[in-house]
Amino acid sequence: MDWKRTSEPADAWHMTDDLHAEHGKGDPFAAAIRATRMSMIITDPRRPDNPIVFANDAFLRLTGYERQEVLGKNCRFLQGPETDRMAVEQVREAIASRSDISIDLLNYRKDGSTFWNALYISPVSNDKGELQFFFASQLDVSDRKLSEHRMSADKERFEKAVRERTKELEAALEAQTTLLHEVDHRVKNNLQMISSLIIMQRRTIKDEGIRQSLTTMLERIEALSTVHRRLYQSKDVSRFDVSDFARDLISDLLTASGRSEITSKLDLDPIVVSAEKATPVALMVNELVTNALKHAFKEKPDGSIAGSIGIKMSQPDGHLNIEVTDDGVGMADSNGDASFGMRLIKSLGRQLHADIEWRDAGPGTRVVIRMPNVPQQEGNVL
Amino acid sequence: MIEPLKVLIVEDEALLAMELESLIEEAGHSVVGWATSSGEAVDMVDSTDADIAFVDIHLADGATGVEVAEHFRRSKRSMVVFMTANPKRIPDHFAGAIGVIAKPYTMNGLTSALRYLQEGVRRPPPESVLPAGFTLSPAFQTVWIPTAA
Ligand SMILES: Nc1ncnc2c1ncn2[C@@H]1O[C@H](COP(=O)(O)OP(=O)(O)OP(=O)(O)O)[C@@H](O)[C@H]1O
Ligand SMILES: [Mg+2]
Repeated sequence: MDWKRTSEPADAWHMTDDLHAEHGKGDPFAAAIRATRMSMIITDPRRPDNPIVFANDAFLRLTGYERQEVLGKNCRFLQGPETDRMAVEQVREAIASRSDISIDLLNYRKDGSTFWNALYISPVSNDKGELQFFFASQLDVSDRKLSEHRMSADKERFEKAVRERTKELEAALEAQTTLLHEVDHRVKNNLQMISSLIIMQRRTIKDEGIRQSLTTMLERIEALSTVHRRLYQSKDVSRFDVSDFARDLISDLLTASGRSEITSKLDLDPIVVSAEKATPVALMVNELVTNALKHAFKEKPDGSIAGSIGIKMSQPDGHLNIEVTDDGVGMADSNGDASFGMRLIKSLGRQLHADIEWRDAGPGTRVVIRMPNVPQQEGNVL
Repeated sequence: MIEPLKVLIVEDEALLAMELESLIEEAGHSVVGWATSSGEAVDMVDSTDADIAFVDIHLADGATGVEVAEHFRRSKRSMVVFMTANPKRIPDHFAGAIGVIAKPYTMNGLTSALRYLQEGVRRPPPESVLPAGFTLSPAFQTVWIPTAA
């Protein structure tokens, strides 16, 4: 509907009034505007206060007014207390600057009820570019506004629910973290107490064999202690760095043995296992290293005990490989009847689905462990 | 021979204090007192001539170990090493303490820490390597292990 291109006289709309009288005859274009279900009006900006000079039936149906009630009036009677002042201001500015505008306005019917009006106004000029009138169409979009409103209300309700739930979860997580710290604290204190009890008991015992048993027991418990200290020192309690553990363990066992002639050779890639594997892996390594310390090296004629213990850890292909070697006497002479230590190693091996092999390293022993280990991802839990 | 250390134990757990005392004495040092609370610790540090205090964070009167360290620093009576199962509770500045021995420590870990501290207190910086399970405070790290800082 391009009014700008019509070459009709300035008051062409009068024709439409005339046509109204003889409905269906004359200008079919004007007749269409009268009959369309789209509400339309025309205003005359050249008259004071830009009054309505034409309104079709659809406009009257939409607003509930009679034709004579609206003709000659400015459109502002459609506004009411809830109409957005800013939106009205925008319309006013568009009219003042003779530009077209499309905007949603809350309008009032004659009976006071409201409807959302998708208003479209465009200026119509003649060939000389003189403003002649404004054409305005109104579309009742109350339904769309209502669903928009519902949607934004729903969205707000939903976001509020999410915020509340997030807060609850954060509080729960914090409570859990506190609890975890508390439990961790107790576990560590209790491990310390168990070690202390064994050490104190050992002090009172004269029998060298029993003392030795208590020492072995202490070593095992201290291996567990080292696991716990390391596990909860890290940011992530679900991952355990076995190479760091091995470093701590061997320096601890070597200095504790008081045998400064025995050296260590470490070749440790940084390897992380999940927390549930931490204890069995640690205990296994502890058994192997203590065995090497206890059995591999024989006193030399000069009374010294020299040798070297190596730990190698690598993770080439989804498997964790651990090698514990010594350059001692080897195991050929051992009668093979495994005592508790060996049984422990083998059971832990089964738990970890590990293959364990004792090889003659000539001189000494090489124990090779290979177990499946999914590379652990970085993560911050605590 | 380096002169042995005079140690004050600040620990609310009797069993751990007993064991610690034995280990300290076996290593050739002497224990000049045992406090179970922050109050006892403060009184004791003023009445003894301890070189070093092993201070647990959790004491009989709550998590007051850090306050004890603050007091010791102000009174300049004794150096402090924390000894705790909860090293995360120690503030970043360590309240002036040398460092922390994380519980559970191993018997050897403690013995090594004692030797290291003896060297550090008597003839700084220490000759031995930093023992596993012993963490130096940032301040002491710069002084005792200058290359690592
Ligand atoms: N690295 C090694 N070098 C030489 N002999 C070894 C080595 N490891 C184990 N053995 C031999 O295997 C035997 C069985 O070891 P195992 O660990 O089962 O028992 P243990 O160390 O004697 O006692 P425990 O049950 O306290 O560990 C040892 O007694 C020793 O003879
Ligand atoms: Mg064994």
